[in-house]
Amino acid sequence: MASSGSGYDLSPTTFSPDGRIFQVEYASKAVASSGTSVGLKVKDGVVLVTEKILTSKMLVPGSSRRVHGLDRHAGCSITGLISDGRQLVNRGREEASNYVDTYGIRSPPVVLCERLSSFAHYFTLHGALRPFGATAMVAAYDEDEKDYSLHMIEPSGQAYKYYGCAAGKGRQGAKTEIEKLDLQALSCEEGLAAAVKVVLQMRDDNKDKPMELEAGWCRDGKYSKVPDGVLKDAEKKGREELEEEEDMDEDEDE
Amino acid sequence: MSEFTASETPESIAPPPAGFSFENVKRNAAISASGTTGAYTQAKAMKTGTTIVGTIFKGGVVLGADTRATGDTTVCDKNCEKIHYMAPNIYCCGAGTAADTEKTTELIASQLELLRMSTKTQSRIVTACTLLKRMLFRYQGHVSAALVLGGCDINGPHVYQIYPHGSTGKLPYTTMGSGSLAAMSVFESEWKEDMTEDEAKGLVERAITAGIFNDLGSGSNCDTCVIRMDGSIQMNRGALKENPVEPLRDAIKRSDRFNFPRGTTAVLSTEFVAHKTKGLSLDDVDVVTMDTN
Amino acid sequence: MAALANSFLSPESSRLKPGELSTGTTIMAVPFPGGVVLGADSRVSTGTYIANRTSDKIAQLSSKIFCCRSGSAADTQALTDYVRFYLQQWEVETGRNATVKVAAHLMRKICYQNKDNLSAGVIVGGWDEVDGGSVYNIPLGGTMIKMDCAIGGSGSTYIYGLTDALHKPNMTKAETVAMVKKSISHAMARDGSSGGIIRTCIVDESGVEREYIPGNQLPYGP
Repeated sequence: MASSGSGYDLSPTTFSPDGRIFQVEYASKAVASSGTSVGLKVKDGVVLVTEKILTSKMLVPGSSRRVHGLDRHAGCSITGLISDGRQLVNRGREEASNYVDTYGIRSPPVVLCERLSSFAHYFTLHGALRPFGATAMVAAYDEDEKDYSLHMIEPSGQAYKYYGCAAGKGRQGAKTEIEKLDLQALSCEEGLAAAVKVVLQMRDDNKDKPMELEAGWCRDGKYSKVPDGVLKDAEKKGREELEEEEDMDEDEDE
Repeated sequence: MSEFTASETPESIAPPPAGFSFENVKRNAAISASGTTGAYTQAKAMKTGTTIVGTIFKGGVVLGADTRATGDTTVCDKNCEKIHYMAPNIYCCGAGTAADTEKTTELIASQLELLRMSTKTQSRIVTACTLLKRMLFRYQGHVSAALVLGGCDINGPHVYQIYPHGSTGKLPYTTMGSGSLAAMSVFESEWKEDMTEDEAKGLVERAITAGIFNDLGSGSNCDTCVIRMDGSIQMNRGALKENPVEPLRDAIKRSDRFNFPRGTTAVLSTEFVAHKTKGLSLDDVDVVTMDTN
Repeated sequence: MAALANSFLSPESSRLKPGELSTGTTIMAVPFPGGVVLGADSRVSTGTYIANRTSDKIAQLSSKIFCCRSGSAADTQALTDYVRFYLQQWEVETGRNATVKVAAHLMRKICYQNKDNLSAGVIVGGWDEVDGGSVYNIPLGGTMIKMDCAIGGSGSTYIYGLTDALHKPNMTKAETVAMVKKSISHAMARDGSSGGIIRTCIVDESGVEREYIPGNQLPYGP
């Protein structure tokens, strides 16, 4: 397979002979090595949970955030390179505020995400630019349709609308777990608990680096960061449940 | 330094700077603002103080215009053309500054032709109207062109009025220019729906005549232009000549003292001598015919 | 002469350039439960001459959003052309029908940004799935006010009291139409730069109805 070394991976402006753009694929790899993120659209809102891997024990908790608000009605989580992701966040905020300024209403989620994805895609078209090594999950409320939505924008510029999505290191396993959930039956709190549990489940505490959970949700027409206490409780509960399940598995093995 | 010493500076003998000079703008404005003295008056542009009209009839559109162009109180052109070509199926009458109406319609006619080439479809009147109004609006009324646009397209016959500031109106009949009031009075009393071509032509001629007779800015002849739904055009220059000058001129009996018979002026010589200028002329060259075999 | 005639009229026409057409006007729009009624006279004048006696001052911005124009004819026509264009773009980008709120915001934005070069007072009204019938008034400076009964143009000064008295909340469609027609005919009777015929536009969920009353059949006449 013609891959690295054959010269087609030096710039996103050139296709490889089999029709791939390696720089974009490498950008996705940068996302795939990051902590796991999960997004769930539940009965009365959208939940975003992400795992922030701590690179130093001296880090102040809550610094260098991965979950950000874009507007009153929208927020997003970042998976991958945090500074690349912040470019998306800044652009998202710009687009959202420009939209309110011209049209007098909050930007519909589809429009916001389409514009963000165009922005990400632009960086895959020029030789002088590098694709974003980050994926953004956008949770937003649609004022006119009275509906919540979850979108994921990838380094390639693809943006799909999801009931549930995952990105980062544990995305495969997380996706399998998410598919088992009955999302339309869950409230935001239950969704948070489920998402936290999925993220924790993808970890191997013996091998993986220490981490911190971050979460945001979109509910009652507004986006907000999940309060620290609520998140801590969910994390604690998730860990307990996982331990119980592990014990049960062990019992069954005996 | 006093202004009297200025001649000593070398700059005063330097050539004037290149490009436009606006140094007299304020002075001219001040003089024309003060101006009751009559010592200085600004030159006036040639205007088509005009009567132009347009109406629809059962099978098409008739446009009409007088043919007088004035500059201040002088008649500059006694037989000018105010019905301009826009497209094979669209014509446009212009009132206002002659140059502006001419160039505006020319410019848009060219845009319409390019559009026809790329779309391979007949031009529509709305398109012409939109292009015209956009251009005029962009110039905020400084391009003084008041237009009556008329023609036939797949949607039928249409007449539009377009004002210099860029506002438009779609009407069954309309008049523009300084003679518009006189012409409108004719339309308002005689116009009816679904006229025949002859009725419409007659009405337009009467409306223009009202302008020619009752408006100082309008005069000379009446031009009409019929644009029919079948695509045919009838441009009628001088459809009406209410005050023909030829019979009047012919009627003037000049004294025989002003008629000079042939030979009154003596012929001194019929020899032609070519003027030799400096350098080479054709006379100095031996012309050799080219071998074309 | 044109300037003199204009100087004692509405603030809209006093800003006109010499020779500019004005829709020295009476316009109004009133929402009722489930829809909205827009109305306007039909006179367009240059100084003392009526340039168009049957004009349509109710311009369409989208399938169910309309706009009553007053002030300079050229400015308001250009303005509505722009808003119509931006609204169409918005409909394509979002894939939904335009809302009156968005239309009014676009109008307000353009009016405010170009306030030094425009003489335009407009009323935006229409029906949409989100808010039902609604009306926004955007007078000269480019401010935007959502209203239960909006009037505008030079003729409106004569009917502030009348509309206050006639307007009641939750009127039926028929009552609203009657009120609009009556108010405008009173304004036309008193205002020299309003006249001609009354054009109305009734918008609700089921669609749009355009009507007119000839000048000799007005509910109130001179």
